[in-house]
Amino acid sequence: MSEEQRVSSIETRGVAGKKRYAMVVDTRRCIGCMACQVACKAEYDTPLGVNRTWVPYKVVGKYPTVKKQFLPRLCNHCDDPPCVRNCPVDATYKVEDGGFVLQRYERCIGCRSCMAACPYNARFMLPAHRTYSSITRVVDKCTFCFHRVTQNMVPACVQTCVGRSRVFGDINDPNSEVSYLVARNPTQVLRPEEGTKPQVYYIGADRNATEFGRDAYHKPDVMELDRSAFKRNFKI
Amino acid sequence: MGDYVWFHDVSWHASYAIYFFVIGICSGLAFLSYGSWITPALRPLREKAAYLSFALLAVGGVLLIADLSQPMRFLNVLNPAYLNFTSPLAWGSLNIVAFGIASVLYLMALKKGDETPRTKLIATVTALLALGLPVYTGYDLTVHQSRPIWNTPVMPVLFVALAIASGSAVGSLVAGGNEAARKVLHQYLLWSTAAVGVILVSILGTTNYGGAASELTFVILTTGTMGLIFVGIGILAGTAAPVALLLAPVGHKQSGLMLSALLVLVGSAALRYALLMGPQQLQTLY
Amino acid sequence: MEMPKITRRTFLKVSAGTTAAVAAAPRLLNAMEQELGGKDFNPDSLAERKAIPITCHVCNIQDGAIAFVENGRVVKLEGNPEHVSTRGRLCAKGNAGMWYSYDPDRILYPLKRVGARGEGKWKRITWDEALAEVAQKLDAALKEDPNTIAVKKGRDRSGGAWGRFMNTLGSATVLNHTSVCESSKKIGMEPTWGPDIETPDFANAKYVLNFGSNILEAAYFHNPLSQRVTEGRVDNHMKIVTFDVRLSNTAGFSDEWIPVFPGTDGAVALAMGHVILRDNLQDTDFIETWTNVTVKELKDNYKPYTPEWASKISGVPAETIERVAREFATTKPATLFTYRGPAKHLYGSYNERSCMMLPIMTGNIETRGGYCLPRGMGWPQPNPQPPGPKHGSYLSTPPDYPLAGHKVSHLVPFWIAEGKQKINVYMTYQDNPVYTNPGARAVWGRLFKDEKLIPYYISMSSHMGEETALADIILPDCPYLERWEPESMPNSLWPWLGVRQPVHASLGESRENRVMLRDIIHKLDPDGKRGMKQFWNFKDGEDYMKQHFDNIPGLKEAGGLKFLKEHGVWPIYGKLDPKSGKVTDKTGREIKAEYGLHKKELSDADMAGAVVGKDGVISKNGKAIGVKRNGKNYVGFPTGNRVINVRVDQWAEYGFNPMPTFKRIPWHETMKEDEMILSTFKLNVHKQSRTAAVKWLAEIAHSNPAWMNPVTAKKLGVKTGDLVRIETRVGHMVTKAYVTEGIHPKVISIPTAFGHWEYGRLATLKLKDKPAFGGTEDADLQNVWWDDRGVHPNDIIPVVADPIGGSQGWYDTVAKVTKAGPNDKYGDIQGDWQKHVEAYKETMRYAYTGDLHRKMHPEMASWGGPESVKHKAGGGGH
Ligand SMILES: Nc1nc2c(c(=O)[nH]1)N[C@H]1C(S)=C(S)[C@@H](COP(=O)(O)OP(=O)(O)OC[C@H]3O[C@@H](n4cnc5c(=O)[nH]c(N)nc54)[C@H](O)[C@@H]3O)O[C@H]1N2
Ligand SMILES: Nc1nc2c(c(=O)[nH]1)N[C@H]1C(S)=C(S)[C@@H](COP(=O)(O)OP(=O)(O)OC[C@H]3O[C@@H](n4cnc5c(=O)[nH]c(N)nc54)[C@H](O)[C@@H]3O)O[C@H]1N2
Ligand code: SF4
Ligand code: SF4
Ligand code: SF4
Ligand code: SF4
Ligand code: SF4
Ligand SMILES: [Mo]
Repeated sequence: MSEEQRVSSIETRGVAGKKRYAMVVDTRRCIGCMACQVACKAEYDTPLGVNRTWVPYKVVGKYPTVKKQFLPRLCNHCDDPPCVRNCPVDATYKVEDGGFVLQRYERCIGCRSCMAACPYNARFMLPAHRTYSSITRVVDKCTFCFHRVTQNMVPACVQTCVGRSRVFGDINDPNSEVSYLVARNPTQVLRPEEGTKPQVYYIGADRNATEFGRDAYHKPDVMELDRSAFKRNFKI
Repeated sequence: MGDYVWFHDVSWHASYAIYFFVIGICSGLAFLSYGSWITPALRPLREKAAYLSFALLAVGGVLLIADLSQPMRFLNVLNPAYLNFTSPLAWGSLNIVAFGIASVLYLMALKKGDETPRTKLIATVTALLALGLPVYTGYDLTVHQSRPIWNTPVMPVLFVALAIASGSAVGSLVAGGNEAARKVLHQYLLWSTAAVGVILVSILGTTNYGGAASELTFVILTTGTMGLIFVGIGILAGTAAPVALLLAPVGHKQSGLMLSALLVLVGSAALRYALLMGPQQLQTLY
Repeated sequence: MEMPKITRRTFLKVSAGTTAAVAAAPRLLNAMEQELGGKDFNPDSLAERKAIPITCHVCNIQDGAIAFVENGRVVKLEGNPEHVSTRGRLCAKGNAGMWYSYDPDRILYPLKRVGARGEGKWKRITWDEALAEVAQKLDAALKEDPNTIAVKKGRDRSGGAWGRFMNTLGSATVLNHTSVCESSKKIGMEPTWGPDIETPDFANAKYVLNFGSNILEAAYFHNPLSQRVTEGRVDNHMKIVTFDVRLSNTAGFSDEWIPVFPGTDGAVALAMGHVILRDNLQDTDFIETWTNVTVKELKDNYKPYTPEWASKISGVPAETIERVAREFATTKPATLFTYRGPAKHLYGSYNERSCMMLPIMTGNIETRGGYCLPRGMGWPQPNPQPPGPKHGSYLSTPPDYPLAGHKVSHLVPFWIAEGKQKINVYMTYQDNPVYTNPGARAVWGRLFKDEKLIPYYISMSSHMGEETALADIILPDCPYLERWEPESMPNSLWPWLGVRQPVHASLGESRENRVMLRDIIHKLDPDGKRGMKQFWNFKDGEDYMKQHFDNIPGLKEAGGLKFLKEHGVWPIYGKLDPKSGKVTDKTGREIKAEYGLHKKELSDADMAGAVVGKDGVISKNGKAIGVKRNGKNYVGFPTGNRVINVRVDQWAEYGFNPMPTFKRIPWHETMKEDEMILSTFKLNVHKQSRTAAVKWLAEIAHSNPAWMNPVTAKKLGVKTGDLVRIETRVGHMVTKAYVTEGIHPKVISIPTAFGHWEYGRLATLKLKDKPAFGGTEDADLQNVWWDDRGVHPNDIIPVVADPIGGSQGWYDTVAKVTKAGPNDKYGDIQGDWQKHVEAYKETMRYAYTGDLHRKMHPEMASWGGPESVKHKAGGGGH
């Protein structure tokens, strides 16, 4: 959060001379297969009811000119992350080299300030019950697969992405595929007006889905059936 | 099935609003106790207000800790190695602890019947720390840049006004038949409640004229169940009505003041709930 | 794995999330792309997880996968990066496959029924008791007639073990699920060009016509082909046009979604052919060289099928047909793909052929970016092999459907009820007709409950499916992660052989199927005196695999089974490039596929002793091995005459039109204004009836409201979430409505895979109970938040059999849809056996022996009738 970075949300590339991992999500290639979501669940034994990544969709247009759009979502590993600013105990923190925003589970007190602070709903409280993992009742989120990336593997969601919609790499490295994609294509980030400097770059994303606009809150009735069930039944 | 969005929970639930309510009264009562050093009419309330404030601090502390998903880790907040000073919660925790210590010292002095300037000094410090409580809770919301309503600079001011109003309301109930105290409390209650009203109007104005998110938050806060709680109970019954009542002749009577005090209490609880929950609804859909 | 050895721990060995991690993290130095797969680590301890290559079998696509094991448990599955088709990726279902193994409600020991059938009362018995009982029942049946022993198999990947088993017993009563699956597609294709499927080269195509395949969610071959579709669409700027009755994800992704009235794809495709031939856009050279018709014959055949004619039937505007036809014919290369959409209708075989004619007449066959033959590999069977059964079985080769080479198993309950063939022992293997077939409970449920018709019922299953719940005895099979099986699938342009191997010992007392079958035979013939035991001469699953794989040329040199155990697949064509996600050769370029398989020339050795017939067919020892064209000896297509049979003469023998044609479904022509077509579909995260207990998939999709167009909804006065009543000729159901722009106004469509009444506690949402059959509880199930499990429509879908391909007409059902009344409850469903019988009788009237056949084929007036058919195929039995 240097002064320099606060100036512009576009020209951010982490810390000069260090790695700045980023993800490009090419929505033109996303087929909504949900493989990413499930791969991530498996990688982390993420419990039911919460997700590190999710793929909402929208049906747009009028019969017979109708299209379906997907917008894969995850933590943006913001360069200016309000979640980090808001954590009273530094349980969520930014790794300068790489740009990861991570959690210290053993320190988190579960005050949920970071959840309130994240404009993207990227954070969630882990319920008390999990299949085999012991970390519960603290806040969790996407780690950009820190443990894989630091062993030179792409994140689990990228690994399995059927449409090859998700591409991962160092955006400070001009030779990386992510740099190439960001340089050659118009890209969008989610809610740039929040000044969070997100590091998940979308190609071809529909503004109606990415922006914090009225349309994002148009609630289709059918979703409401499930949403009310979720509200009713999901207890942490 | 159907247009599908993952479901997100709100971050802070209603229990946090209760904490806001309790801690607001707590600090309001601390003001009253301190006020008794300046305004003699309030002298009979000094000990009662101080004890009650302390008791509520304890309740608030328990609520706050219980709301953590890892309550036993609340001590982490006090660990200097962990403290993150960009977080209002960090400041808030220090503030609460300091206020707790000051309160204890103050109560000890009161117990000894010590009326020296030293005790007055402790009272001043306690009151200043008490001021920190609504300020930090308000600030705790303000910093959330992405949440309309919360992200307004007047939020801490609103919380201070709410604290004075609810503290005075409890004071009014405790003061009973004491006319001198009642007169002062009448003024406190009237002006703080009026201030709450003015701040709400300005918040709602800016929200309604804000971007899409602000507008939608405005809609959420003013319609449906949330509208009933916020506008109905919070603004009309809990702010406008008591102000009107206090301005009317009956407001100067004990019964009128008591009624206004009750309305203010109910209203300020509703406001805190709505202000906490309303702006969180929108983002769960994003 | 042939992965580069990078153990570059650029961060210190720390658990993600300790202070030390940040403080001490050194600068990340490497400048190369991250690797795409092959390894996995525990997120907390960073310990590397053990990798075991397998072949996925959540669905039937057989992607190469790796199972990552930690503390003896599979915690992660990913695509095998060495697999040429899969290229390291798995779909959502593949990623969740371990929950087949760890489903707390999995059956982990043999069970014997103690209550009435279906009552749900079971007794745990030992394997010895189970095998003894099974052997005794089989023995008794064998004494009467081996054909009274029936098996119905769904997903049989046993690599020939089931055939061996039934041949050992001498029974021909082998039934399958292909007639409810896609059989009419197969039957449309096989006589035409040989194989039962195509491999569209999406990655290199410029134009794609997709008729009723939901490739981006289901179809063969969802994962590998979806990868190529996105590549073609984004990297190669291809255009894709999808015909579907509703907006599948594929339709929603396509450049154009063209809604068609159900069952009319064939008409649209014929009209496109009409436009192409009318405007002379066909590939004359290809047609004249490689098919059994001339351009003139084709033009004559296509003359009546005008766009206006098709438009009236299908609702697709004539201009659209004209435009798309011209685009398709003038954009090269172009390809086409179909799946169940066109095929699952009364005359599905005709529809399929009309569609496949488009790439044929435009010469897009076996070209780069075109419509290619499938590439697969085989494996030898261990010797000695049992001889086939002595007598044919009525049920498996029904005489009324001589062309239905993939059987008509969905009519079997009616034939059994009519006494066409006696059953003593009935077995199911990975087949849940009580849920997946037309009539469901009303038909199959009734059959299985009838102890007179089915005296003894064995289910070999790992799960308490709706069918297994009605069994007399359950032999606990292993899910795919605990089995040995050989694999090969033509799911890309590169052939491969793969292996499925157990990632850990089978849980509980479950036993993999091949071993279980062996154990049954050994029980029947303990000392080999009956001559059965000799065919089941292997120590264990692995030994059986050795006998398949250790002697395949090429693989043998690479190490045989040992190689497959290490790599999962053979051959390995190259390295997965992390930058492009493509398989590259040693020079770093993407590997190239081979095209023009039919144009491979026969070698001199091949030609030695061969004769060339008058139409150029090259035969050797009475078998066609190629075809002579333009002076060259080509292998041609794998048909009887080595060319593409646009005219299928065999069909004419039975009074069917041998040329591309279309038949409208008669009851669609007489539909009333307020009637609709009830259709069903599959969605991306579920697999038939089998994934209902897979929590990560159930979480994404757990209920199935009926899709309807807003126009329809308005007429009915319903909105999303309201209850609707759907009535068909055989019953009615009550479900929720989902109003969406993405569906034809005359169609109501319901996804399958929901609304289970068995299949364990998650599927039925009875989570308060305890695991009942030895499984281990999953604490995460306490987080289940959904409370709607949907309603399954199959009870009210009547049987329809394509008189040619034998396929079920799933998408032909006429339904009356109304807003639910006061007495209608969500989930109500009722099908009537008697009405199903009527539907069965009616569909038999379309068979070549039935009275409606001739009426439907006025153009075949000169056909001599059923009596004229000299060599009746199949049949026999009782
Ligand atoms: N996710 C998933 N994948 C699977 C499976 C699974 O269960 N789940 N099962 C596997 C199996 S066994 C099979 S057979 C394949 C099936 O794969 P597909 O055939 O691709 O899938 P279906 O949903 O059976 O049907 C395809 C489409 O046909 C449409 N349709 C219905 N009637 C018509 C019509 O008259 N004309 C046209 N043009 N379209 C129509 C449906 O709306 C549907 O979108 O998928 C395989 N892959
Ligand atoms: N309405 C409608 N119905 C359809 C379709 C449709 O599109 N619409 N699609 C059809 C298609 S394409 C097909 S292919 C059929 C498929 O229909 P089926 O072949 O019947 O397939 P499944 O539902 O997979 O059968 C699963 C059964 O196998 C058992 N089982 C599960 N896992 C294992 C295992 O690992 N080992 C063993 N031994 N048994 C196991 C369980 O008892 C389970 O009940 O459904 C058809 N049904
Ligand atoms: S997306 Fe949210 S959780 Fe992730 S870094 Fe940004 S603010 Fe934090
Ligand atoms: S919940 Fe945990 S990570 Fe989030 S702000 Fe509180 S202590 Fe920090
Ligand atoms: S980067 Fe890793 S943690 Fe984040 S969404 Fe993808 S798989 Fe999940
Ligand atoms: S895996 Fe890739 S293609 Fe599939 S939903 Fe996720 S981002 Fe989209
Ligand atoms: S498509 Fe999915 S479920 Fe089917 S084999 Fe491939 S990965 Fe497995
Ligand atoms: Mo199928």
